[in-house]
Amino acid sequence: MNPVALPQPTRLLIAALGGEGGGVLAGWITEAAVASGLVASRTSIPGVAQRTGATTYYIEMIATDPTRPRPVLALNPAPGQVDVLIASELLEATRLASTGMITADRTTLIANTARVFTMDEKMAMADGRVNSARLIEVLEKAAKTALLADLGTAATEAKSPLSAVMLGALAGANVLPLTADALRDAIRREGKSIDANLKGFDAGFAAVAATPPTSAANPLPISRPVSALAEFQARTSVLAAEGVKRLTDYQSAAYAETYLAHLRRFAKVPGVDDALLADLARHLAIRMSVEDVIRVAQLKLRDARVARVTAEARARPGDIVDITEFMKPGSEEILGLLPPILGQPLMRLVHKRGWSKKAMPLNVTTTRLSGFLRLKFLAGLKGWRPRTLKYKAEQAWLSRWLHLVEEVAKRNPAAARELIISAKLVRGYGDTYARGLANWDLIATSLVEPALNTSVATPDLADQILQARLAAEQDPEGTALQATLESIAQWSAART
Amino acid sequence: MEVSFRKEIANLKLGDGQTFHGEGILAVTKALLQSGVGYVGGYQGAPVSHLLDVLLQSEDILSELGVHLQTCTNEAAAAALLAASINYPVRGAVTWKSIVGTNVAADALSNLASAGVIGGALIVVGEDYGEGASVIQERTHAFALKSSVWLLDLRPDLPTIVRMVEKSFELSEVSNTPVMLELRIRACHVYGSFDAKTNVASKVSSNARLADPAVFNYAKLSHPPVTFNQEIDKVVRRRPIAEQFILDHQLNELLGPANGDVGVIVQGGLFNVLNGRLAQAGLSDIYGDTAVSTLVLNVTHPLSSKQITDFCAAKRAVLVVEEGAPDFLEQAIGQILRKADLQTKLHGKDCLPMAGEYTPLVVADGLAKFLGTYGRDVSALTSWLAAHKARTSAVATALETPLPARPPTFCTGCPERPVFSAMKILKQETSGVHVAADIGCHAFGTFAPFSQGNSILGYGMSLASAAAVSSVQQKRPVSIMGDGGFWHNGLLSGVASAAFNKDDGVLIVMNNGYSSATGTQDLPSSRPNDEGRGKGIEIERSLRALGLTWVRRVRTYGVKNVKRTLDAALKSKDKGLKVIIADGECQLARQRRVRPATAQAIASGQRVVRQRFWIDPEVCTGDRSCIRLSGCPSLTVKPSEDPLRTDPIAHVNNDCVGCGLCGEIAHAAQLCPSFARIDVIQNPGRFDRFKRAMSQALMRVFGAHRAPPLAPAE
Repeated sequence: MNPVALPQPTRLLIAALGGEGGGVLAGWITEAAVASGLVASRTSIPGVAQRTGATTYYIEMIATDPTRPRPVLALNPAPGQVDVLIASELLEATRLASTGMITADRTTLIANTARVFTMDEKMAMADGRVNSARLIEVLEKAAKTALLADLGTAATEAKSPLSAVMLGALAGANVLPLTADALRDAIRREGKSIDANLKGFDAGFAAVAATPPTSAANPLPISRPVSALAEFQARTSVLAAEGVKRLTDYQSAAYAETYLAHLRRFAKVPGVDDALLADLARHLAIRMSVEDVIRVAQLKLRDARVARVTAEARARPGDIVDITEFMKPGSEEILGLLPPILGQPLMRLVHKRGWSKKAMPLNVTTTRLSGFLRLKFLAGLKGWRPRTLKYKAEQAWLSRWLHLVEEVAKRNPAAARELIISAKLVRGYGDTYARGLANWDLIATSLVEPALNTSVATPDLADQILQARLAAEQDPEGTALQATLESIAQWSAART
Repeated sequence: MEVSFRKEIANLKLGDGQTFHGEGILAVTKALLQSGVGYVGGYQGAPVSHLLDVLLQSEDILSELGVHLQTCTNEAAAAALLAASINYPVRGAVTWKSIVGTNVAADALSNLASAGVIGGALIVVGEDYGEGASVIQERTHAFALKSSVWLLDLRPDLPTIVRMVEKSFELSEVSNTPVMLELRIRACHVYGSFDAKTNVASKVSSNARLADPAVFNYAKLSHPPVTFNQEIDKVVRRRPIAEQFILDHQLNELLGPANGDVGVIVQGGLFNVLNGRLAQAGLSDIYGDTAVSTLVLNVTHPLSSKQITDFCAAKRAVLVVEEGAPDFLEQAIGQILRKADLQTKLHGKDCLPMAGEYTPLVVADGLAKFLGTYGRDVSALTSWLAAHKARTSAVATALETPLPARPPTFCTGCPERPVFSAMKILKQETSGVHVAADIGCHAFGTFAPFSQGNSILGYGMSLASAAAVSSVQQKRPVSIMGDGGFWHNGLLSGVASAAFNKDDGVLIVMNNGYSSATGTQDLPSSRPNDEGRGKGIEIERSLRALGLTWVRRVRTYGVKNVKRTLDAALKSKDKGLKVIIADGECQLARQRRVRPATAQAIASGQRVVRQRFWIDPEVCTGDRSCIRLSGCPSLTVKPSEDPLRTDPIAHVNNDCVGCGLCGEIAHAAQLCPSFARIDVIQNPGRFDRFKRAMSQALMRVFGAHRAPPLAPAE
């Protein structure tokens, strides 16, 4: 009855997303344990979590002792008593760390560093992703040994299910009273997709063997090599070079030159440093290359696209790949192609009649002649662009924004920087674009312009613009933005 | 298409001397066959679905043993099935998810219990309680008490489960009372082993039918005046017999020292949790050799007064470890002690919480309070709890913000998602309406990004739950119901009632062809095929038979059409019930069927066009309106490749099944031109290659720089 002297089971907890193969993995492990002469118990709480929700599987295994009664194995994992935790996803591993299931005195953690984003993270209007580096830091601190590797990519490369790669990783970690061969045999005995599963097993085994404990895989952002413009300081030079490249492609070298002229002008404004100018270089280039119908057609005819799509769709040699674009320019986008003298009266008519929701659905197959020609025609309107209503409207917006930035920069550079970044609200197409424009306009008229029209110092302007932008990015209905602007107004009124 | 249970079926055929390895719920199935069951039925639902699923595919076993299998359309029908055991000496078993299923079954259950049985009647309920549960958290125990049905709550290990199933039939027959066997979620799914016995054929069965009906006997009817006698019979005759049987056959277990000064009375289902914590305190071990006297109640109703008083008599105090509210056992035990005038101090919900799952942490805390009061060293437990608290708060501090939740959602390509997309777009364009949600996969529509639904009142109850809402709302409420809910309850409780009362409302029936949330079981309206039980009973014809005239059918993936039809239903001048049948096969079932077939076709060189969607990373500006309207698992985000853009952009991963929703949403909500459909023609024919070559040649004439490669380098 002295628990210290008595054998203890090996306890293993699996964290996974429902429907991802966690059940299969748990099955292999228990089968291997039973085949190796151990007593094993396994349980799970699948229920509706089978549909991609967070879920767990729990296994206990212990050597049999014929002189004793059947061991009483637990069905619930207990914090502090988990020997091995294997997680198919980084956030789910961390979730279990946050419930105390990973402990530094006991738990070997094997986790896939690849992320499957939650709905909250995906649907955020700005960047809603949880910081992976922080999750990794927490896990490394929590576990006795943390084996963190990108098992997801290993699975993709091995063309094998993630569950098999995880089983291999478990074998590679060598923390169970089971041999790697016993685990391999479980795959063979099950008899389903044996070759693919064994390939994945080996990939997982190798991934863990190659991972020095507690060193995290580093998810690197993809970025293209960029050239730099020498006339600007470090940060600005890289972004300005990128901006020039984009705008030359978008319109012309002359157009890119106007971009540089703006930057040069701002570089001379007192208080404008490299950081501020870099932000301006970024957002000005994006706003000057607004995605109108002409631009979209241009992008969709890029040579590199088909090769890329073919690779992403995993087409095999000899397959034919077709790409059909889903385009639906709205009445405003179509009328935007006309010169103002024609476009403006028509636009008024459209608004009056409530036709602004009307749109022209186009399913264009760019890999076939007719689709190609239609887009070729639209892309060919590049030279016509400066005469269009859309272009004129964009230029008007740009000059208002730049004027405000310049005026604010003279008084309060921090606020100017926030005003530059607020330009990112204006993006997208159709309703999204209209909403962004309206939100930005609200910030400009209710915060920025009043600040410029007063002689009183406005030290809080930067924070106000930031809060308003974050609020605008919170919900598409604009509820948070309204509330934020109201509370800023009340607060300002109370101060004066 | 249902899941294949080939391996599990082989398990059901095991005989004497062989060892069964498998899950708890399948051990129950095997135990039923070993007990000579004559008929089995039930309604699917986690965690007991597999009991029926496996039998459905075991036609040879069933026909050999003469076991009748009934796929009931709801739990009331399942409970009523047990009526065969009122008059005939045949053992029957039914299963369902509880508490909800027991609620539905309650009427038949009362009538069954009142009349009593002569053949063993067993009800296997999956107690859907605690982590992983999907229903209201209530106790089945209440039904056992009010109907005088015996209730078993077993130690969750397979030999115990199997023995108790066999004993339940005996108990049922000897006391003429139906028996409920309650298994928690983890117990249903627990993998273990037991020594199998050869299956036994029932003496009365579909292979051995009785020539004559039962002799007319008014006492077998649950009808006055005999109901008055039955009420008395339940408590005066049947219960004492049951109590004696429980003692004689030692269904409850006494563990640990017989003369300890403190003791624990625990529900069998919680014993493993309790033992783990006792072991941690140094008071037990992995073999359950506890140093604290423990009474394990595998039968939680009825309690034997004698067993309770014998256990408590010499003790200073006992702790009742009983999960969930109300504290039925504690109340009963308190009354027994009081009547016996025993001064043993009774603890239970004063040490343990009144409500919520009894996890290891919860039980450790309660045990520490109880044992600490009576002079035991509980430092191992308290220091463990303190360390846990410190550890979790350190992690919380390091994380700064709470981790985002990950509730379940519609599968990739689910046909029900587009309906909620259409509803959300319509809501944005007009304004919201009251939405009555229901039970089924479509309840995921209550989660982000759709967040639609004002109430859930039970399976198939959405339309009935909107009946009075429409009288206080200017706009018509919309009720959502699955085909599962429609046949379970919705047709009568909802549609017939609405037709009868001329209710003005809108009903959307998600016709995905299966009871998908419970494991894609067939329904009356499922397509008939070789493997399944579907009968192709038409939902539309059933509606029209009730006199409904405004009935439209839509293909769910056509978002624009779904939206237009829903808009028409909301604005229609028709004052009756308007029904939209939303057709789209469950993608889970579809992929299970299509995937191997496609793989085979490709391998054999047939022309196959595979579709998936793609987002142009250069055109996407990263505002993610698409995700807020779709929520598809394969529609995710990735870092922007554009050095100027900082926010992540939308991205379709390779799980995409090409359902087309992305493109439909892009059109219907006029989102953005980033979406493209990729058609991969595999094993293209000569004509395909010719057409392609012609297109390429002409495109070059018009300035395409070079022909895109036909295939990538491997």
